[in-house]
Amino acid sequence: MDKDLVDFSLEYARKKGAEYAEARANTTKREELVVKNGTLDAYVSSVDSGFCVRVLLDGGIGFASSNRWSKEEAKAVVETAVKFAKAAKRRERISFADETGVEAQWHVEEKQKIDDIQSESKIDEVMTIEKELTAQKIKIPGRILSCQTALIDKYFVNSEGSRIRSYLPRIAAYALITVVENGKPEQAFKMFGHSSGWEAFQEWKMADVLLHEAKMLQRLIKEGKPVKPGKMDLVCGTEVTGIAAHESCGHPIEADRILGREMSQAGRSFIYQGGPFWVGTRIGNDMVTIVDDPTVKNSYGYYEYDDEGIKARPRYLYKNGRIDEFLHNRETAAKLDTRSNGSSRSINYNREAIVRMANTFLQPGGWSEEEIIEDVKQGVYMKSFTEWNIDDRRFNQRYVGREAYLVENGELKHPIAKPIIETTTKTWWSSVDAISKEVGYDAATCGKGDPMQGMPVYTGGPVIRLREVYVK
Amino acid sequence: MSEIREKTKAIVAKGKALGADEVVAQTSFGRYRQIRFSNNQIDISTAWNTYITDVHLGWKKRFVGTEIQDFQNTDKVMKNLVKLAKVSKENPTYGGLAAGNFAYKKPSADTKIRDFENPTEHVVEALEAARREVGDDVNVGGTLFARYEDVHLVSSEGPTGTDARSSIELSVRAFSQRDASGHGVECSSSLKDFNPAKAGEKAGRIAKLAQNPKQGKEGRYSIIFDPLIFGSLLGTWGSMASAYYVMIKFSVFTDKLGEKVASDNVTLRDKPASYSVANRAFDDEGVPLQENVIIKHGTLNTLLHNTSTAKVFKTKTTGNAGLVSPRTWNIEMDPGDFTQSELFSQVKRGLYLTNTWYTRFQNYATGDFSTLPRDGIFLVENGEVTQSLKDLRLSDNALRLLKQIAGISKERQHVRWWGFESVTPALAPYVLAEDIQMTKPT
Repeated sequence: MDKDLVDFSLEYARKKGAEYAEARANTTKREELVVKNGTLDAYVSSVDSGFCVRVLLDGGIGFASSNRWSKEEAKAVVETAVKFAKAAKRRERISFADETGVEAQWHVEEKQKIDDIQSESKIDEVMTIEKELTAQKIKIPGRILSCQTALIDKYFVNSEGSRIRSYLPRIAAYALITVVENGKPEQAFKMFGHSSGWEAFQEWKMADVLLHEAKMLQRLIKEGKPVKPGKMDLVCGTEVTGIAAHESCGHPIEADRILGREMSQAGRSFIYQGGPFWVGTRIGNDMVTIVDDPTVKNSYGYYEYDDEGIKARPRYLYKNGRIDEFLHNRETAAKLDTRSNGSSRSINYNREAIVRMANTFLQPGGWSEEEIIEDVKQGVYMKSFTEWNIDDRRFNQRYVGREAYLVENGELKHPIAKPIIETTTKTWWSSVDAISKEVGYDAATCGKGDPMQGMPVYTGGPVIRLREVYVK
Repeated sequence: MSEIREKTKAIVAKGKALGADEVVAQTSFGRYRQIRFSNNQIDISTAWNTYITDVHLGWKKRFVGTEIQDFQNTDKVMKNLVKLAKVSKENPTYGGLAAGNFAYKKPSADTKIRDFENPTEHVVEALEAARREVGDDVNVGGTLFARYEDVHLVSSEGPTGTDARSSIELSVRAFSQRDASGHGVECSSSLKDFNPAKAGEKAGRIAKLAQNPKQGKEGRYSIIFDPLIFGSLLGTWGSMASAYYVMIKFSVFTDKLGEKVASDNVTLRDKPASYSVANRAFDDEGVPLQENVIIKHGTLNTLLHNTSTAKVFKTKTTGNAGLVSPRTWNIEMDPGDFTQSELFSQVKRGLYLTNTWYTRFQNYATGDFSTLPRDGIFLVENGEVTQSLKDLRLSDNALRLLKQIAGISKERQHVRWWGFESVTPALAPYVLAEDIQMTKPT
């Protein structure tokens, strides 16, 4: 990475008249290996390095980027960004919420440096999981195991004096399995992700997790029964709580959606000015508090400063059952007369930073998982999910159980095949009447932005109980 | 340009000299321009230029890949790549790269798209068209995206080709009320066939028709799919025709070659035609693209292959590499016998769905899935739209849906937008399917 060229780009943008300018460079060393049905399909290793310039001028924003590191290219990038900003000709001028410049350096420690792990060792570790998975008497004819690492070196400067350097190692893995029993297929997808060194790979115990999934799917095919549709208690495992927190709290609370900037892609929000839901409006029971926190150590969505140079901090999205704080970048914060809370993220140098979640989770309560189940007369325990979706206002959603069991008089019974809850955000969070003490996290890739920016995040939460909801 | 080809050749030669059995390198100089707009104003204009060479090589059935940026550190990167191959594991299903000297169609990319500097006038045109339909209260957002790529491919196995690829895509969503919207797209490989007002007009017209929606009712319906929503589903079926997804059982087409998988009136092709935003001359191995009939009159006719998957399935490549996974280029559904209005007149009581997003599967092998219609959802009675509806979800089975197709229109539209689950564009007609399950939240 040529820091001098990044600094030059910023100065050149100032010289060209930018009212505000920033330059950001990313150099990312990536590796990915994919094992398909027991064979190493491909191993890809690359370094991607480039820079971008974003300017605010005459109330418009221009953005340009390149992976060609030369002064001529930097000048062309700046000139394009300036020209684009001028061409916007907006009626309402865009402005950014006030900030003062900050100088900082941050990095995430690697107990086992990813760069120090030989490629053959990475292959062997994934192959060991494959061997353990196939050593059992379970027919798993479809298997994908993938491991990805990214070492991200970033440099950010802006015309307000910010200068931030960071190093973030990320490691992720995912698995897709298809189990067949009596000619019937069932499938599971599991993802793992950390901001850390290679040590995460051992911590995940992927073989154990995947063997549990395989055995569970086999049993589901053999013993699973449909649920008798009707109102009942639904106990949700941490994976289900987490996806609901992400989809029906994290997304609708993104201020760019609320203000309409995502209207033609990911959509708007049920929260809007002059509508029935705004800051302070009740959305769930008192016990519902959902936080988005980029500072969870070693989390997949970890960062210390966002891509506008704002210090990261926890955001209380729903607090004690009420809408509390939106996720902001500097543009949305200015529009709503507040300050950015450090939610501006970009996946690479060639993408604008937009409002994103980091690690979104429901805060724990005072129950044990056993107590939650003991108190259910008739219901379903949906431990994990398969199909899910939500409308583009983030109100009408559906989750279909992957691992699920009938609960009768406080006891888990046979597996339930594909129980479905299809409900609204308000009903979901208003039906919560018990929350466990332990929070579980799952790594996920959140989709948003045009072009799409798949963003590393955690979804999370404790085990929860929804009282008297319709399950089919 | 010959300099780029020579540099790309040198990368391949370097790989061979270092001991690789086969090497393919593809250099792309891409120039991308995008305007995003919302609330009737431009939010940001963006440009990104990329200078990338994708390199893959095989060594004793080990297959590895990397990227070289702007021809920087080429020798070092190639040495590391060969080293990586030598510590990698043998892949018995790796079948090498396509061999031969192929002739390719002459690139027909539109240089006017390459020379675009700031195409805001197309955005204004679309906004005005939507405004004419809805009035001054309209709220319009969308994206205009222009792409131009110069591509040079060199393979040690013979293929050497040069291509230029262009596309322009406009996606427009108009709101006439908070819960009444419409979506229109305009996709083309050249400016001469690009009509931004058409996308704005459609978005506005549907938004107006969608006003004052009522809660839809759960049940089974005859459904007319607009080309925009059906194009999204075509991409999903197309992806499932990739031999890779069949091999890992993430496809409803597993073990179904030669079997009936759709109504007799359904013929689906992967056709990388010159009009398509995915136009190109060759695949990632350098095989000339060809038309492949995936479903012929309702029967699964072929899967899509690269050289490796073709060897596993004891057939020939279909020109769909993806070096790891075969890819679709542009899915076409053959037109039917109905005009659009004749198709609507077939429906006594049903729905007209105009767009969707968030298509998710419970099980890719069985095809159980749901998708969330958005923008206009309409009740159709005796062939006429009688009421705008909201909050309905299509919850059915992907294979069953193919078999329930009862009518296809003559009119087709080339479609793709951000909400497609697959990046594959489509040429899609209006489609009537019978007895499809719709659900709603409780």
